[in-house]
This record gives sequence, C-alpha cells and structure tokens, in this order.
Amino acid sequence: MTTSSEDVLLSVNCVRYKKGDGTLYVMNQRLAWMLEHRDTVAVSHKYADIKTQKISPAGKAKIQLQVVLHDGTCSTFHFVNPGGPEAQAKDRDQVMVLLQNLLPKFKRQIDGELEMKSKLLSLHPTLKHLYEDLVISKVINSEEYWNTPTLKQYTESSNIKQEAGVSGAFLADIQPQTDGCNGLKYNLTQDIIDAIFKTYPAVRKKHIDYVPNKMTEAEFWTKFFQSHYFHRDRIASSSSKDLFGECAKLDDHAIASAMRHTTLDLTVDLNKFIEHVPLLPTEEEASNEKDRSDNNSIHRNMIKRFNQHSIMVLKASQKSNSSNNSNSSSSKTSNNNNKVIENGVKDTNGVSKRPAEHSTEPIEKKKRILEQIHYEDLVADQGNDDVQELKLSKVERYLLGPSYQISQTSVQTSHPPPLSALASVCQAWSSGQQCQRPARVSAGAAVGALGELSPGGALMRHHHAASMN
Amino acid sequence: MADDDVPSDSSLLVVIVDTNPNQRYIIEDPKMLTNVLDAVVAFSNSHLMQKASNELAVIGCHFHKSEYLYPSPGKPLDVRQIDGQYELFTLVEKTIKMRLVNLIKSQPQEEKPGESLLAGALALGLCFIARSRRSAIPGLRTSSRILVVTGSADTAAQYINYMNVFFTAQKEQVLIDVCSVDKHLSLLQQGCDITGGLYLKIPSLEGLLQYLLWVFLPEANERSKLVLPGRGRVDYRAACFCHRELLTIGYVCSVCLSVFCKFSPICTTCHTVFKIGGPPIKPKKKKMKV
Repeated sequence: MTTSSEDVLLSVNCVRYKKGDGTLYVMNQRLAWMLEHRDTVAVSHKYADIKTQKISPAGKAKIQLQVVLHDGTCSTFHFVNPGGPEAQAKDRDQVMVLLQNLLPKFKRQIDGELEMKSKLLSLHPTLKHLYEDLVISKVINSEEYWNTPTLKQYTESSNIKQEAGVSGAFLADIQPQTDGCNGLKYNLTQDIIDAIFKTYPAVRKKHIDYVPNKMTEAEFWTKFFQSHYFHRDRIASSSSKDLFGECAKLDDHAIASAMRHTTLDLTVDLNKFIEHVPLLPTEEEASNEKDRSDNNSIHRNMIKRFNQHSIMVLKASQKSNSSNNSNSSSSKTSNNNNKVIENGVKDTNGVSKRPAEHSTEPIEKKKRILEQIHYEDLVADQGNDDVQELKLSKVERYLLGPSYQISQTSVQTSHPPPLSALASVCQAWSSGQQCQRPARVSAGAAVGALGELSPGGALMRHHHAASMN
Repeated sequence: MADDDVPSDSSLLVVIVDTNPNQRYIIEDPKMLTNVLDAVVAFSNSHLMQKASNELAVIGCHFHKSEYLYPSPGKPLDVRQIDGQYELFTLVEKTIKMRLVNLIKSQPQEEKPGESLLAGALALGLCFIARSRRSAIPGLRTSSRILVVTGSADTAAQYINYMNVFFTAQKEQVLIDVCSVDKHLSLLQQGCDITGGLYLKIPSLEGLLQYLLWVFLPEANERSKLVLPGRGRVDYRAACFCHRELLTIGYVCSVCLSVFCKFSPICTTCHTVFKIGGPPIKPKKKKMKV
C-alpha cells in the first residue's frame, strides 16, 4: 500500500488515536497511523493537506499532537508511551520536529498556487462569478479556465514592480535639534544622504568634487544646510561665496535647455487654461504693475521651480525603469524645498538623445493631428461585401397578428348582417326626430354605470390605490 | 405623455365609430347603432363644451371604407338655431346624421361584409391631427386624442397596420382610448398601453353615454388627478408563426427572428439550418442521500 513506495522516517509506537492504540509513521510525504495488530493504515494525511500542527501545552497530563488539515478537519494523536510522561513528551517532540521540517516543504508547492488563485478570485468578483458559472456547472474544466489568456493579465499584473521614489517631504523631516546654544544639529543617515543625492544631482556632483579633498563631510553638509540653496528664498546672488550658489545657475540652464527642446503640442490650446479674472474697476491697473514689484519676482521664481520640477517628473516617467539613480521622484510635491534639478551631466545626456528622437517627432505629430480630426463613426462605410442578403419566404407571417378564437362567428353566420335594415334605420334616424330629444341614457343605466366605475366597482378592479398620488 | 402637467390651450378629439354591420350588437338589433351614435354625438358635444377652442372630428369606419362624419369635407351645413340649442351642436348632430346615411348607403350590397377597417380609420385620425397641428396658431398648446368606439372582435389581418399606427401615435404624443362594446380586444388594448390611453370594455350598451362621459371626457393631464379604471394586465405575448397561437415560451430563429412554438432544425422562413441538436436537456439532479 502506501508504505511500499515511501520511506518511513520515524515510527512511534504507543500512539492512541480515537481510543485505539497503534503506531504512528512519519514518512516522506505523509503521516500515517496504523492500529495495532493490523496491517492496514487507518489514518493517513499527506503533508500537502496539513495546514498546521498543534501540541498540547507543557503542563498538561495528556501529551497530544493535533494535525489540522486545510479543510478544517483535525486528527489528534495521543502519546501513551508506558515509559511515562517524559518518554511520551520525547516521542511527541520527535514527531513534532520532523513535521516542522517536512511540512514547510510541501506547503509551498501547492498551497501557494491555491492561495494565489483564491486571492485572485476574491479580489475580482467578476472572475469569481465567471468561475462559479463555468467551472462549477461543468461547462469548462478548471484547467481551461485558468489557462485562458485573459486571465494571465490578472495573474501577471503584480509582477511589474515600480521603483519607489523619494518622498517629497523628506528634507522637511530632517528636523534639526537645538544644540543648546544657538546651534542646530542635523542627524544625517546614509539613507538621507542618498535621498539628497537622488533629488539634487548637482549636490552630488559637488560632493564628489569637494569631499574628501577640500573639506570634510561634516563641513560639506554644514555648508549645505547653511546655503541659500537649501532655504526657501532662493535668490541667486552671485556674490555669495556659497559653493552651492552655482547650483541655482545650473537650474536656469536646465530650464532654458528644456524650453528649447520642448516640442509644441499643437493640439493643446493653451488659451483655454487662462482664467478670466473678473474686471473690477479698481484693480485694472494692478495687472500692469505685476511685472515690476520685487515681491513678484519671488513668485516667478517659485513658478519657475515648479515648472522645472514638473519637467523633471515627466522626463523621469518617460524613461524606462532600467535607468537608475538620477531618476527623480515621481511624487508631486508642494514643498518648496524639493525641487529637482537636472544634473549637468544629465543634461548633456538628454541633449544627445534628442537628435535621435527628432526623426520620430514629425511622424508622431502627424499621427496625433490625424487622430484629432478623424472620427471613426463618420468614416464612410467601407462597403461590407461579406454581408449576405436575407432571403425570406412567407413574409406575410410577420405581418399577421395572432388569430383569436372566434367562436362567436358561429352565432353570427346564422344571421346575415342586416345591410338593408341598417340603411333604413339610419335613414329614419337622420330625417326624423329633429325636435324631440330622446333620452340618451336612462337614469338607471347611468347610475349603474357610475357604480361600476366607482372605486371598488366591477370595472375598477385594476385600479390600484398606489397609483393615486 | 410628455407635458402632462402643462394644461393645454385646446384639445382635439377624434372619435372613430365602428359602423360595420358585422358587429354583434347591430345584428341583434340594428337600431342600437343609432343609439350608439346618439351617445357619441352627446359625448362629442360635451367635449366641445369644455373649452371654446376645443376641436372635434368624427370618423365612421365601415367595412369598405372610412369617412369623416364630422367635419364635413365640403361646405358646412347652414344651421339655424333650433330649440335654443347652440348652433355648433346642431351642426355636429346634423352633419353626422347626414354623412352616416351617405356612408351606409355607399356600402356595396353584393359583397359579404368583411372586417372593420379600424387601422385605416386610426391612420385617418392621425392625419387629421397632424394637419390641424400644422395649421394651428404657433404657441397654442394642443393635446390630441383618439377615441375608438367599436363592437368588433380582434382582427389578425391588420396587425402590422395597427402596430404602425400605435407607434406613430406614440411618437406624435396622441392618446388612443378604446371603448369596447362587445368583446375583449387585446390588440387595441396594447395600443392603449403603448400610447398612454385608456381601455374600457363596457358590460352593457344602455349606459354607454355615462361610461363615455366619465372615463373618456377628461383630457390627458386631468386624468392623473381622477380615479379612473386602471390599466390591467396587457397581453403582449407573441404569436407563433406556424399556428398563430399566443406563446409564452417559444423558439426564435436567430437569423430572421421568426417565432415558433416547436423546435425544428430548419427555420421555415429563412431556411437556415441549425446545428444545435434539439432543445437543451436538463441534467438529471442526483438526489442527496441523507
């Protein structure tokens, strides 16, 4: 039976299962228990089916090992070694250790798949319904279901991993600690340093230049935090000896180069984005003075920085994931401190790439313009030559209504329609009785009709109270 | 239908009276037709009395043709005031009487009377409504409806004509009311349901005028405020193409959409061969052994 094909790793005598003593066998792929003096296995659990094992707590008199299966059933084995509780505990611990080693191996093979499948089904209720409708009612096999190509898109979507970017507010998180007397202490870990390099490639370049030749790390970072570059108001003053002053100039270079190289998207109408400020009589002149006041140069600088940041973000998202450290973070930021600058080196890289892209640009442009002016619906019919004409016989079937059981015709055919009588009656009616006004309806008939039409009457059966508003 | 809450400035009523001698109540007593017409005349006059701007048309429907009983196609009759009756009412009555006699006299004596041409009469009424709308004063809101008074049974031959008329009326926002004197008319009841009108089958002819005045006199926007007979169950079942019997469950050809009561592997209308073998067999359920 089963014992012939597998190796027995451990066999423990004197194990009680459901009031019977026997031997517990721990084998290669399963756990089996045989009743004493029998040669057929009464209980057998594959490790693949076993979810967990449990042992009774240390202080208890009964030394037990419980095995919980995936479908919820459990089997409890009670160790009753006549040698006493220590021997029982030893037996059980042996089994437990072996199981601990064996179970994980079998778990992952099948469990993972099933888990993934069940997770998929629970995440996408449409898939679950499809599965229930198709597989449970046996329209297609479960294998066919899982192998359909559309399903692959669900299962493989999790494979694409995105590189985590730098948080937008990380610099604000480096909170300085007051040093006691008018000084600030910054704690810089390697992570933070890496993040700074990633966000400001210019700083990295400077770091390579200056450290460790010209100044130590500590001095470098001190200068960094002191520099105007770091602080909010980045007014580029060339007179400052700040070694980071040049970085601001690099920014301007970057913006200028970006402006030169941006291809205009002709389909975007920029005028639509301008908001019409309501014209108030007192504020008309204000718009003219905007360019002059100093205050607004700061605004312009800020706007410039935001624009640069957006350009960098877009560039980063267009590159593939394989390019590394110089990628800017993809998160948008409102924090003024975090502005992404393109490294000088980076800039040249970008520029050199452009000529290669130039040739593709006109083609893309044309495609986009064509997209905008073509409507699929309005394109004239290409002439469906493969449409067959519908040939119908007995077309009158569509035109006739249902035939009603006219059993009353039998009554009518016995009496021919009174054509002549009708004619004479009508003649008499039209010519006579112009002065007399016969009663059109008798009082009794009228009251009867009213009774039938009142709520609850014979004709009002279909009238529902709900229809009365 | 639309604009139900807006009161209309004028209302146009078209009454279609079935004068076919084939109707049972006429066969039993030919004088009943004149009674019915008296009631219709009184009803029409009541309608004209509601508003000064209300309009009226009466169409008589026979088995050989349908004709306008009122207004007369030619010059209107010259009426004088009689008995203190409003001249318009006198005009209506006299015109209808005169034109009815003409209609009945024009019936061909040799032929056996056939079905009433109700679908044609409905179309005639719709044309009248369309014409009056075109020549109406702009800005005048008119609501239109058609009332059919008939004692005939349902016909199978005019099915497609009825459907055309019903959907046109629905599009034109014209209500179609039906007062059935004798039999239950499921086809016309469908028309009432489609257009939003009322269907009434009256038990006896004596109180016809009372029924008409109570149920069919109010306009569409007034009807929602009154307690009137409800719609009831409308029988929309399709008829199978082979026996013309009404079906609840049937088989439909996917190519030509013809309806059959029994499964056949070849559609008899478009001669398509179906590869599916037979109706689906239900899997036998295994009984759970307890």
